[in-house]
Amino acid sequence: MTTMIGPAVLDPSLYIPELRLRRKQAVLDELVAQAARAGALRDPAVLRETLLLRERLCGTGIGKGVAVPHARSVAVTEPRLLVARSHRGITWDADDGVAVQLVLLVLSPAEVAEDVHAEFVARAAAVGRQQRNRTKLLDARAFEDVAGVFAELRS
Amino acid sequence: MNGPAGILELQELDLLRAEVADARITSRLRKLGFAFPDPALLERMRDGLVERIDRRWLNHYERARGRYGRGVAVVRTRVCQGCFITLPTCAMPAEEQPLTTCESCGRILYWR
Repeated sequence: MTTMIGPAVLDPSLYIPELRLRRKQAVLDELVAQAARAGALRDPAVLRETLLLRERLCGTGIGKGVAVPHARSVAVTEPRLLVARSHRGITWDADDGVAVQLVLLVLSPAEVAEDVHAEFVARAAAVGRQQRNRTKLLDARAFEDVAGVFAELRS
Repeated sequence: MNGPAGILELQELDLLRAEVADARITSRLRKLGFAFPDPALLERMRDGLVERIDRRWLNHYERARGRYGRGVAVVRTRVCQGCFITLPTCAMPAEEQPLTTCESCGRILYWR
C-alpha cells in the first residue's frame, strides 16, 4: 500500500505560495496552522512538538533548497502533503548550507505503517530533488501548476 | 504526569523510534538526503519520559504497545480506531479522568 500524491492528499488549501516568515520554527508554526485550517489535524500542538523534536534531533533539510519536514502522528487525521514556497529563502540548517525555498510537509496518521509513510516521504523528496521540478514549483503561478508537478509523478 | 500529554509524547517518540529502527527505511531516505537521530539518544529520551508518566497509564500503554504495536488509539465518532469497536459513552474522558482505555483492546483512547 502506498500514499499516492493525488487530489485527496494535496489540495489548494494545502498550498502556501509565499511564506511570510524566514525562521525555521516560525515557518513550521505557519505550516501547522495552515494544515489545521485545512482540517488535516486533530491536535496542532502535538504535531508542532513532534515536528520540532525531529528538527532538534536531525533536521529535515535535504539540500538543494528543499526541506521535507514530516511526521507520522496521532495528531494527523489523513495523509496530507503541504507545499510552501519562500522565494527569499529560509535558514534551515541543511548540510549544503543552501537556504530553503521549497518546503514539503508530509503528514501521515499514526495508524499508517512506517514503511507506507516512508514511501510517501520518499516520493515527495524525490520530486523536490529534481532541478526541473524545483524550477517548475518555484515558477508556478497557480496551485494547478504545483499539483501538475506531483501528478507527473503518478503517470 | 497524569494527563494525556505524557502518553501522547511517548507514542510520538515511539513512532519515531520505529522509523529509525527500520534499516530499509533509513537506507532509502538517507539516499534522498535525510538524516536520522542516534537510536541511543532516542532511548535515553524515552527513559527520561517514562519516569515522568503515571505508572498505571504507562502499564496500560506498554501492554497495548507490546500486543498491537501502538499503545494509543484515536477515537472517531465513538469508534476505537485500534479495534473498531463502538465505545460506550462511559468510556468518554472526564475532567477527573482524562484518560480512558478501550474495553475491547486495552489501548489508551485519544478522543479528538
